[in-house]
Amino acid sequence: MNDERPKKRAKDKRTSDAPVDLTKEREAFVRTFLRKGVELTEDLLRENDVLQSQLSSLQIENARLRAQVASDDAIRELLRTVEALEQEKKELMQRSRELEQAKDKHQGRYTEIEQELNDLANLYVASFQLHVALAPRRVLRNVKELLAQLVGAESFVIYIVEPDGKHAQPVGSEGIAESELGPVQLGAGKIGESLATGIASMQTAAPLTGGTLEEPLAVIPLQADGRCVGAIAILSLLAQKTSWASVDEELFHLLGAHAATALIAASLFSRTSGPAAALAGLREQLHLE
Amino acid sequence: MRQLLVFALARIKRLSVVEADDGVDGLRKLAAGKFDLIITDINMPIMDGLKLVKRIRSDAVHKDVPIIIITTEGSSEDRQRAMSLGANAYITKPIQAPQVIAKVKELLKIE
Repeated sequence: MNDERPKKRAKDKRTSDAPVDLTKEREAFVRTFLRKGVELTEDLLRENDVLQSQLSSLQIENARLRAQVASDDAIRELLRTVEALEQEKKELMQRSRELEQAKDKHQGRYTEIEQELNDLANLYVASFQLHVALAPRRVLRNVKELLAQLVGAESFVIYIVEPDGKHAQPVGSEGIAESELGPVQLGAGKIGESLATGIASMQTAAPLTGGTLEEPLAVIPLQADGRCVGAIAILSLLAQKTSWASVDEELFHLLGAHAATALIAASLFSRTSGPAAALAGLREQLHLE
Repeated sequence: MRQLLVFALARIKRLSVVEADDGVDGLRKLAAGKFDLIITDINMPIMDGLKLVKRIRSDAVHKDVPIIIITTEGSSEDRQRAMSLGANAYITKPIQAPQVIAKVKELLKIE
């Protein structure tokens, strides 16, 4: 190896010994170097442009992704809001249903109260009409009016038990010829049974049509001092009335309890010379003297 | 049963009622004032309800006043006759207060 080294040095020396070639070589090198440098610079610039472009794209992409993330958040928020609103809607619907039920209940109650008020007004008027008169004819007329206008009876007969306690005589009627009427024996037929027992009877099968003296639609015994002293027999109702109303039974109770006493009071009063005479001796009767 | 009607009408606020005994009395009371509504029966002494309706419809002051007939006469002929004479409503007895109240409110256009 040591023997070759001097040979190489000799050769190198030989080359460097040629200044012209060296200069050319140097210039060529420099040109090559510069050209390579330019090429490299250009490559770098191109690379830079590409990188700049990629950076720009990435920035755009980044912005888009950020916007999308924000949008997703907004959607998630909106979904949460929608869910909350759905829940609220459900609760409101439930509340609405409850209120609807309460309204229906109150409406039903209101109707019931209206009906009760109406019934009470009927009963009040009936009671007032029975006791406002002191003339037997007037009391009888009022009883007839009550039957026609409050109950809706078209034909009916009012009987009073004779003092013998075996028969009842008609004292008033409506919608039936007087020639068809006669005394009723207590215990005989529907009317006689009610007169004997004091128990009312009412047909309930609708429509309530075709009542007769033998089969009246209703018989209301008239009570006084715990005894049956008469009866009202309803034979037919107005065409537009096909069934009993809720208040009818109450009206029958009221007539049964008050009509006879009103007639007795009117009958007794008619035998006096006026209210003052009728009240004479009341204090003694009340044991106030 | 005027009393029952008066009770029913008393439940309508701001309504005052003037009662009359029959058709003639009704006309006399109509002449003495101005009324928003008239309620009459058909079967009345002296002058019946249908004659009363006819007279009211020929009266300059009250010819347009709504008239309700409340009666026991339930046939369609009676109803048609009353309506053709100028009645605005026809209610059959027995009297049902809610029905009367509803009709009065409807004709007077009140809640």
